[in-house]
Amino acid sequence: MNRYLPLSIIALGILAFATLLLVIAPGIQIGRHDAPPGLEPYTEQQLRGRQVYVSLGCVYCHSQQPRSPDQAPDGARGWGRPAIAADYTYDAPHQLGTMRTGPDLLNVGARLPSRDWHLAHLYQPRAIFDWSIMPAYPFLFEVKGAPDPGDVVVSMPSGFGPEAGVIVAKQDALDLTAYLLSLDRTYPAPADAIRDDGYRRPEGTP
Amino acid sequence: MTADKKQEAERSSRIDETFEPYELHGKMPWPLIAFAVGLGLWGVATLFETREDVVGAQAERVARSHTETGVATEPGAPLFLARCSTCHQPDGLGVRGAIPPLAGSAFVAHGPELVATILLRGIDGPIRVGDHVFNGHMPSFSSVLADVEIGELATYVARRFGTSSDSLNAPDVAMLRDRVAGSGSFKGGAEIASSTDLDLGHQPAFVPATAVSLTPEVSALVFTGRGEQWACASCHGDLGQGKENTPRLAGLSADYIVKQLGDFAAGRRLNESMRLIVASLSDEEKRQLGDYYAALRVPSNARPDLGGSLARGEALALHGDWSRNVPACFSCHGPSGFGVAPEFPPIAAQHAAYTASQLAAWAGGRRNNSPLDLMGRISRELSDADRRAVADYLASLPPVPAGDDTQIAEIGEHP
Amino acid sequence: MTEPAESLAAKPADPQRGRIARWWIHAAGAGIIAAALGALAYESGIIPGRQTSQQVAGPATAGFFQPPADDQIPDDEFGAAIRRGQAIFMNTSTNASQYVGNGLSCSNCHLGAGRQPFSAPMWAAWGQYPRYRSKNNQINTMEDRVQGCFTFSMNAQHSVAGGPPPHGDDIYRDLQSYFYWLASGAPNNELMSGAGFGRVARTELGYSPERGAQVFAANCAVCHGAEGQGQMDINDRYVFPPLWGPNSYNWGAGMARIDTAAAFIKHNMPLSQPGRLTDQEAWDVAAYINSFERPKDARQQGRTIEETRRLYHDGDEIYYGQVVNGVLLGVGTPDPVRPVGAVD
Repeated sequence: MNRYLPLSIIALGILAFATLLLVIAPGIQIGRHDAPPGLEPYTEQQLRGRQVYVSLGCVYCHSQQPRSPDQAPDGARGWGRPAIAADYTYDAPHQLGTMRTGPDLLNVGARLPSRDWHLAHLYQPRAIFDWSIMPAYPFLFEVKGAPDPGDVVVSMPSGFGPEAGVIVAKQDALDLTAYLLSLDRTYPAPADAIRDDGYRRPEGTP
Repeated sequence: MTADKKQEAERSSRIDETFEPYELHGKMPWPLIAFAVGLGLWGVATLFETREDVVGAQAERVARSHTETGVATEPGAPLFLARCSTCHQPDGLGVRGAIPPLAGSAFVAHGPELVATILLRGIDGPIRVGDHVFNGHMPSFSSVLADVEIGELATYVARRFGTSSDSLNAPDVAMLRDRVAGSGSFKGGAEIASSTDLDLGHQPAFVPATAVSLTPEVSALVFTGRGEQWACASCHGDLGQGKENTPRLAGLSADYIVKQLGDFAAGRRLNESMRLIVASLSDEEKRQLGDYYAALRVPSNARPDLGGSLARGEALALHGDWSRNVPACFSCHGPSGFGVAPEFPPIAAQHAAYTASQLAAWAGGRRNNSPLDLMGRISRELSDADRRAVADYLASLPPVPAGDDTQIAEIGEHP
Repeated sequence: MTEPAESLAAKPADPQRGRIARWWIHAAGAGIIAAALGALAYESGIIPGRQTSQQVAGPATAGFFQPPADDQIPDDEFGAAIRRGQAIFMNTSTNASQYVGNGLSCSNCHLGAGRQPFSAPMWAAWGQYPRYRSKNNQINTMEDRVQGCFTFSMNAQHSVAGGPPPHGDDIYRDLQSYFYWLASGAPNNELMSGAGFGRVARTELGYSPERGAQVFAANCAVCHGAEGQGQMDINDRYVFPPLWGPNSYNWGAGMARIDTAAAFIKHNMPLSQPGRLTDQEAWDVAAYINSFERPKDARQQGRTIEETRRLYHDGDEIYYGQVVNGVLLGVGTPDPVRPVGAVD
């Protein structure tokens, strides 16, 4: 091993070049864009729910990045328009995800706007989809003899609830559901938004 | 010690053992360099090409958003063709016995302000134009057209089909919009005459339809859910307006809704959530739900947001694609997508995501409840881009009949 | 390179060996570069063949004459006449209001705005006139022919005018402008493929309204209604045309003949699924549709039904003047209280 110096300089140079192109330049580009008018910051509860989302590892199976029609039929799947950079303004860190074992969730709040549906689905996904491979999260709920005032009772399809008593959602379940319902990026994308237009030819050209 | 020294000497005498390998300054073979340069060139060219596409697509979107929001000052003619001519016809003569003519109409003769007011509010009751009485169901364009567009359209209509040379600007329309907000559609020509004090000739009286009353049980179904089920409104919205791929139910015919509920139960339409919901509904409850949603009047909250080509969508909706045996949407769903009871639901103002996903479901076999497999066969003929195009176009249309849009604003606040 | 392999194996230090390896490396490198440059050229569109997305006419209209599209209508006086003609064609009851006595438009039978093959496309009809027609034993110009459409298919006898547009009316001028333009480039005086409604081979069973009733219920009623009276939207605008009864074509129309109706149905119905019905079903359902009463033959005048039948329907496949289900057909639906489309 000789010529340490030139090797180190080249290695650092490549690293600096990559940092410039992959981190700094996109950072500047993204920094120029404000939050879209339709996007609300998360509330306290939604942020707590986001922590639950992270801690349960939802990101390992669910992405949050609908793709453009050239890349995947996400529009036809009902997952919403292609995501733009500004959709993640309030997400730090973002939960883009890479796996699509389950459906994309960036617009799940628009697609499935019912809190009660989500609670039932979290308690036992197979109560709704008998083919679902999503884990059940019964530990986000408790079974009580009778609901206390203020409790949110989960209505389960017959055969999936407890034999006696009612299912009541714990705070974590309510927070998580609030977060899921806040996932709604269906406002129109600003015309100058940063998004993936690669390989898309303007209409009319071959 | 001596032994060590000996070994040391031995080692140094064997040069090979202390040899530290290094690379000679060999020449890189020229093909490798050429290959790298070629790849680099290719990469740069692709970057530039992609950049061109990105810039082109962005310019296209900006231009389109300008037409949609009315930033570009276009005369009303293209708007008239796109928004009015399916009913009133390109020549403004209407359709005998069904759609009033604009040419020579006393309403149009009063100038652009009245035209704009009608565009904003819509009509939902009998109206006399010339010597003929018409049913008078005209949608409100308030939720789908911007102030500038309404102004241009009203100016154009009043100028072409009336005698007025006045023009109506966006600020005027904004004031009009404020004034008519929340007043709902005109109850026929009679209300237009009485609310404006203009001479519009004798107008037929409006006979209100009997209001649909919900039993407490069905009301609970809609708004609070029951036992094992969550509420209709928790997904479809308090006014049945829907969102994304939860369909708009307001204004669908009762028979159609009842049939769909039955189809969910029978598995002709596959949707797990709906299958659970309908499992415990009685026939009477289905009927009541159908009646309730059929009677709702809600402005459109659908937007073309799938990135489809609106021009292609319009062509499919109005003319179809005969080369593939795809008839015009409107040839069955009615000339403006208002639906023909009971088998052909309204498709105007339906959410683009829902329409596209249903077309995909027909093509993919998850929905099998179309009479004669009409929609199945048509959907299989459409490309994915066609499905998005037509869904986007339909989402840009006004709903029928008219409604008032304060309700939708409230819904926007609703969690 | 030409040396035998064993000599290479025997002499590993042969300088020839390294040269071959280098030769291969060079060849592979050059190949990859050539492929990269080729791909670049292909991507950028320098090489033709990238334009694969051009519209290919599908099976439905492939192989037939292709009439011009609407956006090719010229922007001049002639174009204005074409547009007026098209408006009349599509919306006849409004744009030729005083001459239409029912709920039909030209475009109800001439589908696709007069473009669809085997739906009596106007591009094929244009070059066929003037011609002799046995229907009235004389040479017919296109104007005569269209007048016949108003008389029978639009049932002009119940219209405000009480008859078809008089000869020389602008309606004919505009309609013919439209037809002439649709036939741009079409051969003259030649029977074109896709002309008329085509034919359906006769079947062994013949035709029967009873069997047709079932075909109708299964395939037609969803659009045309169980009673065949068509369907309207909320503004009372016909979306699906009535097939029989007072608002349909009269007994003198070509479509009242079972063979004509069968051909139309076989090639065009149900809309978007031509060919769905078998020949037998097309015959049966055509018989069913034409076994109901409709407005009387406009040529009947003071004659009896039997006289009219002998004069105008002899030898035709039509139920006119026959007793079907115990009812004599051809009497005509009652005249309207006031002409169709008249002021209320």
